[in-house]
Amino acid sequence: MTTETPPRPRKRTQPDPSLPKLSALGWVRWAWRQLTSMRTALFLLLLLSVAAVPGSIFPQRNIDAGRVADYIAQNPTTSPWLDRLGFFDVYSSPWFSAIYLLLFVSLVGCIVPRTRVHVAALRATPPRAPARLSRLDEHAEVVTDVSPEEALAVAREVLRGKRFRLHSHDSTSISGESGYLRETGNLVFHLALTGIIVGMAVGHVFGWRGDIILAEGDRFASSAGTYNTISPGPWVDTETLPPFVLRLDRLDVQFNEAPGRGFGMPTAFTAYTSLQREPGAPATKESVSVNHPITVDGADIFLLGNGYTPVITVRNAKGEILYREATPFLPQDGNYRSVGVIKVPSASPKQLGLTGFFLPTAEPTFVHGPASLFPDAKDPEVALSIWEGNLFPGDAPQSVYTLNTDEMKQVTKADGSPALIRLKPGQTYEIPGGRGTVTFDSVKRYAGLSVRADPGAAISLVSAVLATAGLILGLTIKRRRVFVRVRAAGPQGAGADSPSGDDGRPATVVSIGGLSKDSDAGLAAIVAAVHDRLAERNDRS
Amino acid sequence: MNLASNANAALYASMIVYTLAMLAFSWYLAGRAPQVADSKLVERAGVREDVLVGAGSTGVPERRSPYAAAPGFEESRESRQRGNIALMLTYLGTALLVASVLMRGLAVSRPPWGNMFEFATAGSAAVGVAYSVMAKRNNWQWLGVFVVGPILLVLGLALTVLYTEAGELMPALKSYWLAIHVSVAFIAVAFFTIAFAIGIVYLVRLHREEKPPAKPNFVESLPSSAALERTAYTLNMVAFILWAFTLIAGAIWAKQAWGAYWQWDPKEVWTFVIWTVYAAYMHSRATAGVDHRKSMLIALVGFVCVIINFTLVNLVSTFVGMHNYSGVG
Repeated sequence: MTTETPPRPRKRTQPDPSLPKLSALGWVRWAWRQLTSMRTALFLLLLLSVAAVPGSIFPQRNIDAGRVADYIAQNPTTSPWLDRLGFFDVYSSPWFSAIYLLLFVSLVGCIVPRTRVHVAALRATPPRAPARLSRLDEHAEVVTDVSPEEALAVAREVLRGKRFRLHSHDSTSISGESGYLRETGNLVFHLALTGIIVGMAVGHVFGWRGDIILAEGDRFASSAGTYNTISPGPWVDTETLPPFVLRLDRLDVQFNEAPGRGFGMPTAFTAYTSLQREPGAPATKESVSVNHPITVDGADIFLLGNGYTPVITVRNAKGEILYREATPFLPQDGNYRSVGVIKVPSASPKQLGLTGFFLPTAEPTFVHGPASLFPDAKDPEVALSIWEGNLFPGDAPQSVYTLNTDEMKQVTKADGSPALIRLKPGQTYEIPGGRGTVTFDSVKRYAGLSVRADPGAAISLVSAVLATAGLILGLTIKRRRVFVRVRAAGPQGAGADSPSGDDGRPATVVSIGGLSKDSDAGLAAIVAAVHDRLAERNDRS
Repeated sequence: MNLASNANAALYASMIVYTLAMLAFSWYLAGRAPQVADSKLVERAGVREDVLVGAGSTGVPERRSPYAAAPGFEESRESRQRGNIALMLTYLGTALLVASVLMRGLAVSRPPWGNMFEFATAGSAAVGVAYSVMAKRNNWQWLGVFVVGPILLVLGLALTVLYTEAGELMPALKSYWLAIHVSVAFIAVAFFTIAFAIGIVYLVRLHREEKPPAKPNFVESLPSSAALERTAYTLNMVAFILWAFTLIAGAIWAKQAWGAYWQWDPKEVWTFVIWTVYAAYMHSRATAGVDHRKSMLIALVGFVCVIINFTLVNLVSTFVGMHNYSGVG
């Protein structure tokens, strides 16, 4: 595309005097042209794909904040810099946002003028046939004994059958154009891409999600304050969340018990629930399973996790119940070795904290520490250590799944070794020093449910489907021009082989030329179709 | 014998037949080199096509595919026979592989592409079918070795590294979207693979067109670089559209299974990266002034991303995400 230009060393040392001085507006215009050029868009596309990669290599806060914390702890020298540069929040980092925003500005800057041009092209008539059709990409010539008018009529019929838009600028030629849908498709594709982004933005601003851990038999009434965690979009009014009430009747989990590679792999999760769509409304039985959410009032309820809640009772020395709850323990591995914490602030003289493991199928020896052999609750056991002291140092907020032992001391047995509670269901442990008892009553499953609303998803989906449709049109349809010109065969036809009708009837020379913007294997066939139809006509007459 | 072991037997059989096909294709290509030397293509480089077609023509107008061998190269009868033998072996190998995939599907009563081993075999079958369907019509015997070779490599790796016993799927994969999302994905990969093979051949051909070697070999008997480039473009275009479907279907499924249609999970990231790289290829091909060689290099980078997406992202723990379905380890 670029032509050879002789070197101009002068330009390097002093500004070219012939260059006009650009005003501020001029620079803006220049920058806009650069940004909306196809080369810039191409560069931004490649840059976007490169920029997306670090987010798959470094742990991301939006996916797993815990892994980010681990990574930072393991790489103390590099991670502060990575963090500062946004490598743990790639997809909301300024540089990633800058690339895709520039890309979309460039895209809009490209769509608007192209739409204008395309609308004009849709209204315009195909251009006048060039003088020498033999110069075009595809060309054919046929001599026929039908009259010029009739030859043009035949050509017109063929081209119309192939959905060409036709126009005659003079009586001896036709111009045809087809494939307007190519550019329409291109524009729809680009416009729909912005629609996807709009849908994502709407989802971000008006969407929300709330997570809840619900043990079997427990009820949950949805409201802003009742979720374990809730993350509403900036414009969500948390007073208007759907006020449904959900009871988890039973969580059915199946694991593969056949020995072999898939041993212990989950095969089915189903939560059987009673759902009241509003408080006081009749409850309906609904089941939630992986891939099958329930829809309530614009929000979907997903089953995303599961685990065990051992029911543990803590009594003081007098036998009074200080604590009795189904406490969720979070699974750490495929065999559901789970960790959890029991906080007993009402214990006296000092507050008590229990921390440790729940093992659904306990490995009895603990040679390698507490371990579970199978994810189903075949032989459940809890293994806990006991701490006493201040549970909430500084009254700072803390997670229910961790025990802050900064101001606590581990309870020991008489011989000074740490006391370890190991209980099967129904068993009771007496805490050394007359501090009371701990009982493992029973175990229930819990369901990790996530309630999510994304009002932008439908916009994104429709846009994505439109984009694909546009893409197919834009890539497969070819913009073609076909011209047909007729002239009477005769001495002025010049060629030595230029025939006239054998029987002296006047003959007509028909030239057909085709032009396409892109490599186009189908163009030859269209030119050939016109040619063949005319030749056929010739044979018949 | 149960269905799953029949499926494996068919897989081994198809590998044996494919190996024979690859040998036949190599024999066929090797046989083409001296013929090129005979036809003195290099000396006649500047001569117009119509002159050459007239030279060896039998008078019967033969409908030539635009992707058929380069002008000036007249294929001998023996050469054509060798090519057809290789092609027949490929058909047989593909039929056995498809049978293996079908039997595996029947054995597990679900779409047979739920782990890496199954994805690799089903994907290879798709490559084999796509090539078999297109080869005869386009005279792609010359491409055979570049398609059957990779199929054998993938099948070998699938059996040695990725092999997973036929079994039930984890709950997240039990959805009809498995049939849609994953099948479209591997069909797209099949087209990407064939386009990649042609893309490599194109670069070699182009290089030798620009700097003609002293001694021509089979490369000079291939279609012109322009024709190769067009073919690769068309195949990449089909694959790119299918990949867009894969992305959308994946997002719909993710919404059902995980509650959000896009979470920048590593697999999602790489699917997106592949899409943008090929979008850049399409874009650069449509941009005036970017030469086709550069565009093709972008497409080749895109295929490297496809390979990374299937291997590293599935197997390396750095890329931990929610798509943990490899079935390996």
